This record gives sequence, C-alpha cells and structure tokens, in this order.
Amino acid sequence: MTNLSTIDPAAVAGEAKIENSDVVITKSSIILRRFLRNKTAVVGLVIFLALTLFSFVGGLFTSWDKETIDPFNIGMPPSAEHLLGTSQAGIDLYALTVEGTRISILIGLVVGLVSVLIAAVYGCTMAYFGGKVDKVMLFILEALIMMPALLVVAVATSGGGNGLQKSLPSWLLLIIVLLVFSWMGTARLIRSLSMSLMTRDFVKAAQYMGIPPRRIVWRHLVPNIGSLLVLDITRGITGAILAEVAFSFIGIGIKVPDVSLGVLIGQATSQVSTFPWMFWVPLTVMFLLTGSLAMMNDGLRDAFDPSSSSVGRARRSDPGKRKSGKTPTTAGKKTT
Amino acid sequence: MIRYLAKRALTYVFMIFLTTTAGYFLAVNTLQPALLEQERIPRPTPEQVANSFRLKGLDPDLSPWERYVEWLTAIVTRWDWGRSPNGAFINAEFGDRVWISTRLFLASIVLTLIIGVALGVYTAARQYRASDRVITSYSYLVYIVPAPIAYFLVQLGAININETVGERIFFVTGISTPGLDGGGWAQFVDMLAHYAVPTFAITIVGWGTYQIAQRQYLLDNVNADFVRTARAKGLTRNQAISRHALRVSFIPVAQSIAFTIPAIFAGGFFAEKIFAWHGVGSWSIDAIALQDVNAATATLAYGSVIFAIGAILADFATTLVDPRVRVQ
Repeated sequence: MTNLSTIDPAAVAGEAKIENSDVVITKSSIILRRFLRNKTAVVGLVIFLALTLFSFVGGLFTSWDKETIDPFNIGMPPSAEHLLGTSQAGIDLYALTVEGTRISILIGLVVGLVSVLIAAVYGCTMAYFGGKVDKVMLFILEALIMMPALLVVAVATSGGGNGLQKSLPSWLLLIIVLLVFSWMGTARLIRSLSMSLMTRDFVKAAQYMGIPPRRIVWRHLVPNIGSLLVLDITRGITGAILAEVAFSFIGIGIKVPDVSLGVLIGQATSQVSTFPWMFWVPLTVMFLLTGSLAMMNDGLRDAFDPSSSSVGRARRSDPGKRKSGKTPTTAGKKTT
Repeated sequence: MIRYLAKRALTYVFMIFLTTTAGYFLAVNTLQPALLEQERIPRPTPEQVANSFRLKGLDPDLSPWERYVEWLTAIVTRWDWGRSPNGAFINAEFGDRVWISTRLFLASIVLTLIIGVALGVYTAARQYRASDRVITSYSYLVYIVPAPIAYFLVQLGAININETVGERIFFVTGISTPGLDGGGWAQFVDMLAHYAVPTFAITIVGWGTYQIAQRQYLLDNVNADFVRTARAKGLTRNQAISRHALRVSFIPVAQSIAFTIPAIFAGGFFAEKIFAWHGVGSWSIDAIALQDVNAATATLAYGSVIFAIGAILADFATTLVDPRVRVQ
C-alpha cells in the first residue's frame, strides 16, 4: 500500500500533462465535436432543450393558469383568447400543456439519470467481485425483473388509506416506483459487459500494479461502457416518459389534480371526435419529446464510444487529418 | 441439458415464491377492502363487515403474518387461492380469465416473433437499401409511441373504416357477440371480426424491437471470418447467412424473448383495457381498485410464472442453437 500513494500523484500529473498539451485533443472536446458532427443528434438536442425551456417559461405568455376555470369557454376549440382551446372543465389547454410537459420531463430526467446510476454501480459491483456476491445480487435482480411493475405502480398510487399517498404528490410516488423497477435490464447488460472487460489485459495489469478497485472501475471499466451508459440515460428518459403516459392513460399513475402529458391524453381519449385538439396537442408534445431523445441516441453513442473509429485517429495525435477527413461512423454497429 | 433446465426451473420456482410472498405482504398492508364496504347502502356496521370478511377468509383483525400463513396453507394443501371481498372464488374466475388472455395474446406473440425476426434478417441482408431504411425507421418510430396510445390509434382507424364502409366489419371491443345464433361459419366470422383489430394492433407495435435486435446482431456476424470461409467454400451469400450467420445471431435474440414476454404481458394490461377483453391484465387493475388482496396476488403470481416460462424457453432455445452451452 505504501507505493500506491507515490504512484498515484505522478500518474495523475502525467496524464494531466498529456491532456493539456496542444498535440492531443482533450477527451471532452473529442466527444463534443463528434456529437456536433451528427446533424440529426444536434437537431434532437435543440428540440429537447427548447421543450424544456418552454415548460419553464411557457407559462409567462398566457394570462391563464392550470387552475383557473373560464366558465364562458368550456370545451372550446383554439381561439385568440385560448391559444390551444380549453379542456372539458374550461381550463386553458396551453397552461395545462406547459405544466404537463414540465412534470413529464421531470419524471423522465430523474428516472433516467438515477436508474442508470444505480444500474452502473450495481452491475460493476457484480462484475468486479464475482463469485458469491455476484450470485446473490443476480438473484435479487432477477426476482425484481419478475415483479410486474404495473401492479406495484397501481398498488402504490391507488391503495387505500395509508399515509404515503396523502403525504407525497402522485408524481413523486410514480418516480420512486419507476426507479425501483427500471434499472435491472441495464444492470444485467453492464454486468455482462464489465465481466468481459475484467478478463482483458489492461484490467489485469492494473490489478497486478496494486491499483485500488474503485480506481480500476472508474478508469478502465466506466470509459469502456460509457457509450452504453449515456445511451441508457436517453433510453431511460424515453422509457420513463412513455411509462408515465401509458400508466396515466389507463388511469393509474399520476392523479388529478397533478397534470402530466399522460393525464391530458388519457382524459381526452373518450371524446376524440368531438374535442380533437385536446387529444392531439399533448400527443404532439409527447412525440416531440420522445422523438428528440431518439434522434440524439445515435450521436451520443458514437460520441462516447471509445472503440469508435473517430477515436482511433484522434489518439494517433494527428489533428489535421481528423479535421479534414470525415470520419466514417460505425453505422452497422450494435448499440450496446 | 435436461439437468441444466431442471436446475433453472427450480431456481425460478423459488423466485416465484419470493415475489408472490413480497406481493402478498405489499397487498395486505396497502389494500383495505373494509373501507369500500362502508360505501354500501344500507351501510353495514363494522362488525358486519368484519364478520363477512372472516367467513371469506379475509379477516382484517388478524396480523398480516397470520393471514399469510393461512393463505399459504390453503394454496399448498388444497390449491385454493382464496376469495374476493364480494365472495367470488379466485380459482374459478382465474381459469376463465387466463383463457381469455391466452387467446388474445398467443396469436399476436407468435406473429410478432416471426415477423420481427424475418424482417430483421431481410433488412440486414439489404443494409442501407430503401427497404431497409423504411422498415428500420418504422421500428424506431414504434419505439417512441406508448403501447396504449398505439392501440387506441389502431382502434380509431378501425372505427373510421367501419364508418366509411357503412357497416360493421371490425369489432373494436369485446371478445364475441353475445347471443349470436347461426352455425359454425357465422361463429367463425364473428370470432375473426373480434380478433382482427387487437391482434393487428399488438403485432404491429410489437415486432419493432425484434426487427432492430435481429438486424443488429446479424450485421455483426455477416462479415465474420466463419461466414467468409463458408462463402469461400462455394455457398451463396444467402446460404452462408442463413446457415452460419443467422444461427449465431439468433442466440441473443432468443435470450431477449425471455424479457419481452413479461413486457407483452405488461402491454396486455393496456390491450385488455382498451379492447375490453376481460383477461388477467384488466382483472389485476380492477382487483386493486376493488382492494382485492387475493386476486391481486394471484395475478402477480401469474405474471411471475409467465416470466419464468419465458426465461426457461429462452434457455431451451439457447441450448438448441448454441453448441457451447450444450458442452458445458
């Protein structure tokens, strides 16, 4: 253990020196440039950011809010006074959509980010320690996959008189339940990928050099599965938004008075032919949201993939060649 | 191989036991049927409610642990899954509903798998041609549509067709026309008219994931050395793909089936709700709304069993196509 402390600062300093020199492009700027090269992904990012911005400041452009009832305009189509019309209860649909988008994005971001974090820690721990630890943790994981999440969502959000539903808003409850049931697939994938990485020479070499587990995981495992992690964040966000819409659509999940895109779509389904705007407006927003995330997927995967052909050129420290040549993207590669 | 599968099966039985137990405790602690009874007219006294529940084996005065032991003993000794608060027997109702769910999903699952894998192979063999681009972008489009909304849109489309034709071709809800007379042919046509819309909806939403997975795994293998060797030995490209590359690339797809069967089951809640087929999925939602502990647990156990069957089938398929597993 004594030589560890002497090795570490030197290694860190060495790496910092390499990273700061002009010849080699830093990792973050490689990632950024590769992402920007993918036009579809950039468009997706712009749409997603615009929607997020809309959900926060959109409420300022209307004098109505999500609770005020306009008794003279109940179930009215879009007009000058109500940009997107009103709901069956006479509430301005624009205000409702802004509020619903915010809740949906919130659910998506929290569930997507945190579940991937849980999955990464869980999967890497399983792969790193192996043996008994791996067996027990895999058993827990498979048992959780087995539980139909929808039943638990239904019990948790609609159960009778216990105090939990009363003290927490329904969107927070839904986030918690979605979190518990959303990380297992990713964790399994991360486990199998990390297990194959564990047998690679660079990990073995690091182990024999006496580098502590935490550093091996951070330095050698995480960068290699980084593209998968990033991809699973966007997938997790999409999945959570879709799950919220699906659950609220059939009447479990988010409960009125909380608003979300799913609640709005679900409420409108019974009268699509009479009040079409109530159905299509929140549905369009949902498609923009999930569509923009899907557009970012491929660009993000390519940007974070260390075995992407772009990195091969950058590491040869030949910036001129990198800039001039269009690097072939690995199109047929599997997304894992 | 049999030993390996038996060992897996035993593990899954233990897992089903654990998830069902956990589900029972969750349900017992959160669902309170007594509260719903209070809304009846004339309003029963708490003593009446407790008495009626005691007769049905749902005694609210016992602790969760005592109720669990009682419930488990009944299942183990008599295969009796208990009763609902309204007095119905879970076993009888369960039988009917499982049959309805199976009829709804069996055709769709088989169609989904066959179409998905076949289209995956087709598009991988024609990478970046127009047909590949169209099919693959369709699959990605399906990926961003929530299942219930897709079902709903298909339902709307069927209603529109009915309206334009001016006669009822498709039934968008229900399982059969009640009180239908006529011979076997009329019954058969009626059945088709009821099956067409749900089966179509579930299938076109379902095959996207298989298509994408199969295409990607096959593309990883199309240029592998062993495929090139097969080509060098004189096989045509299609022969080399179907005999060598396809076999290897089907392994991960076969494993993913295990985890999509419960997903289809979960999608089943939505399909059953929207198409008004009263199967297990919609029963579980209703059971929770009616605070029915035993029915909710039974549907949860059913979900776990379906998952286990899917997982064992996946293991079986893997041993069939992957010689390495057989050797181990």
